[in-house]
Amino acid sequence: MKRIAVVAFLVLAGLVLAACEPEVVEKQVVVTQLVEKEVVVTEVVQVEGKPVEVTRVVTEQVVVEVTPTPPPVPQGGWVTEVSFSDAKILNPILSNDSASADVHEQLFGAALEEDPFSGELIPDLTEGWTVSDDGLVFTFTIRDGVYWSDGTQVTGKDFVFTYRALKEGSLDSPRLSNVEYIAEINLIDDMTVEIVYSELNCAALSELGLGWLPAHMYKDDFTDIQENALNTSPTVSNGPFLFKEWVKDDHVTLVRNPNYWRGAPHLDGWIYKIVPNATVGVQQLKTGEVDLFDGVDPKYLVEMEMLESVGIYKYFDDGYVYIGYNMGDPENPQPRQNEDGTLNEDHGIHEILSDVQVRHAIVYAVDRNAIISRVIFGQGAPVQANVIPIIEWAYNDALEPRAYSPEQAAALLDEAGWLDQDGDGIRECHGCLYAEEGAPLKLTLITNAGNETRESIGVIVQDQLGKVGFDITFEAMEWNAFLGTIVGQQFDMCIVGWTNTGSDPDDEGLFASQNDLPDAGFNFVSYYNPIVDALLKQAKTVPGCSFDERGALYREIQDQIYADQPYDFLYVPRRILVFNKRIVGMDPGPWEFRSNMYEWYIQE
Amino acid sequence: MTRYLLRRLLQAIPTFFGITLLTFFIVHSAPGDPVLQQTFDPNISKAAREELRRRLGVDEPILAQYVSWLIGNEWRRDPDLLPRRGILRGDFGNSLNEKRPVLQMISERLGATLLLTGTATVIGYLVGVPIGVYAAVKRGRLFDSLSRVLSVVLNAVPGFWLSLVVILLFAVKFREWGLPAIPSGGMYTLTAGSSRGSDLMDRLIHLLPPALVLATGPIASVSRLMRTQVLEVIRQDYIRSARARGLRERTIHFRHALRNALIPLATLLGPTLTGLVGGAVITETVWSWPGLGRLFVNANFQRDYPVILAGFVIGAVGVILGNLLSDVLYGVIDPRVSLS
Repeated sequence: MKRIAVVAFLVLAGLVLAACEPEVVEKQVVVTQLVEKEVVVTEVVQVEGKPVEVTRVVTEQVVVEVTPTPPPVPQGGWVTEVSFSDAKILNPILSNDSASADVHEQLFGAALEEDPFSGELIPDLTEGWTVSDDGLVFTFTIRDGVYWSDGTQVTGKDFVFTYRALKEGSLDSPRLSNVEYIAEINLIDDMTVEIVYSELNCAALSELGLGWLPAHMYKDDFTDIQENALNTSPTVSNGPFLFKEWVKDDHVTLVRNPNYWRGAPHLDGWIYKIVPNATVGVQQLKTGEVDLFDGVDPKYLVEMEMLESVGIYKYFDDGYVYIGYNMGDPENPQPRQNEDGTLNEDHGIHEILSDVQVRHAIVYAVDRNAIISRVIFGQGAPVQANVIPIIEWAYNDALEPRAYSPEQAAALLDEAGWLDQDGDGIRECHGCLYAEEGAPLKLTLITNAGNETRESIGVIVQDQLGKVGFDITFEAMEWNAFLGTIVGQQFDMCIVGWTNTGSDPDDEGLFASQNDLPDAGFNFVSYYNPIVDALLKQAKTVPGCSFDERGALYREIQDQIYADQPYDFLYVPRRILVFNKRIVGMDPGPWEFRSNMYEWYIQE
Repeated sequence: MTRYLLRRLLQAIPTFFGITLLTFFIVHSAPGDPVLQQTFDPNISKAAREELRRRLGVDEPILAQYVSWLIGNEWRRDPDLLPRRGILRGDFGNSLNEKRPVLQMISERLGATLLLTGTATVIGYLVGVPIGVYAAVKRGRLFDSLSRVLSVVLNAVPGFWLSLVVILLFAVKFREWGLPAIPSGGMYTLTAGSSRGSDLMDRLIHLLPPALVLATGPIASVSRLMRTQVLEVIRQDYIRSARARGLRERTIHFRHALRNALIPLATLLGPTLTGLVGGAVITETVWSWPGLGRLFVNANFQRDYPVILAGFVIGAVGVILGNLLSDVLYGVIDPRVSLS
């Protein structure tokens, strides 16, 4: 493929040159070279009167014509990548963890994938798709000439089988929501598949990004998917690499797929090595035991920069870290809406945090730049609302940051009726909106224990809020207990973050009032703004789903959220990818850095 | 003997049920929700989450879950549930995360754990016994005092700490200083070549450091027990008569004294092995040893109930059988003990 491209380029360049300078007569240059060549000669010799056939090797000098070719790409070699957690199950429709995805994405292609640089959805095992006028029917043309590793052709049957299995197969899978709004999955012919949605949803296309299973390896009634040997040893695949072995909690080894449809990888293979913690990972990068480490903690950055053997690629993650304010009553969490969609009268308010002035005061009182420079060593950028800058078409860059100002915070708290009249350093309610007269400005702040970054942020926030008259109790909780507490809406403030938010800015899950469901929904801060509810719905159902129209709506949503501050948005972390320089040909993008792994090669 | 065994086994049955009951309810009452863990993603709707909860069977009343876990779920007569036979019939269920039989996951890693704990036990006895005997013979001398201090220290030092110190010094610092360093973890060097696994030296250099760390406990306890026993035995009349017969000291100590002193050691074997498996949980995590320990530690963090429970139950059965084995061995080796 590469070579054809080079030739085509030379031809084109020749034409262009010829067009510019017509008087130059083209001259054919033939490069010759004298080469010694060993030739095997067979002759008959008389040995003691008998004819015996003898072969011997003679060196001859031959003139050969040489065509100049680019130096060949070195073939072979292995790339070893570090991971903290092992894959769980190598089946794209049964897994929802990033370690499993890291591995099975190299094995199974999907209908579409994210462009590594823009995040836009682009065809993978399909040639492309068309959308009906009402935006409900997607028709995919399957790419021709792709084969499973056992020689069977990849067809629409695999696509249909994979999604029907999720829809009809009674699987216990965390992926069930991928097919929630899909009404029909139809095989038009072997190479055409039609997906019919039950309602218009501009964010739905990304749900079709699950890798396809080889339909011919399973029973038609989907009963043998849940417990199948292929889930742990997926020997039939179609990606750039093929499965070789998986030693649990130790490593996964994949080897090159010589028949990969984009071209066989130069590497012999890729090893996904499980290490217990970052220290070991960094140590092994230094010794060269591993080649690749995505997500190196910023505290190791200087150490890595001093290291000559490695290169560093930094990119903004699709996610952010924030402080969530609970605006419901933590003593009595209630869903925002009744079953019939009407507002629930019993939904309480938070005595302190329901007041938007207090929320603004906290934003002013917390020095985000100090957090970025002290906790994550500058590897992050402040963010003002819920859409991150890498989603350019929807990002609102007009929002003025609420810069650190304890004075402004104090003024806002005074105005909100929180004053320190007894002089103990902690403000009390004197005419505040919702709390009882005299109640102290006392809040709890929680995060998950073991996350050093968030624990450090908690200490800083506790200190800075203390300076403007808050009484903050900070607690780092065990992860499971923490999840239960925040989703159960039994907290005041929490430090947490979203990662892998994806390339679509839809945020109904986080800010729409129908997802204010204690123990079940992710609007666990009980945010309620009817305008945002309506805008979120509208932005998701714009006919035609054009970026322009949707982008304008999402910018409006960000205006609203910026005004309401249901979160104190802290920063978008910068992810650090460290790789050994012996890997050549990497072309990492913020959305995916392994996308061209089949083109990587090793240059010692 | 048979009656004794039978009685002990019968006694073990209520113990076993008590353990299953306690562990099941303690594990389930810890905060945490395996479904929420797997679906901590705002794009996953409540309905999808409820559906997953139902298919995993974790939405049922806790007592029903306990009974299903013990005897299987045929009695539920629910065609949507994956058929389960219950732990009493040897079915420990499927992992919530990996969706495959827990027993299969355990058997994959059992070998690594047995190799590590087995090596540690052998080292513990091979080093501990001679130290104990020698300390008893040289009672009150420097070696004796040294060995006693050392055994207290080794017993007190936590394995994970010792592991970290060993890794820091011999793996990290030695490499920085250009000295021959040990690997910082794993079972073998991952070179993807074909030689992996067959290179004995490579396997040994990966096995010995964690095994030695793990062996510190047994070394300490075995040497202390050995010393006390030998001291007791050499005061016996038959040792004095051996001396009177003019036997050499070495023969007296190692032929006559040691053999009798070894008896209580046999009883230590059962508890040592089960204790080591417990200690290996931490050691394996530190040394990235792909054994049972890490499996159970990770399962705990992810609230993978079937895996956690299998760990507890198998551990409990191990302790019950280990103690039984010790008692039986005692009766077999020491004729003075009657087992009826």
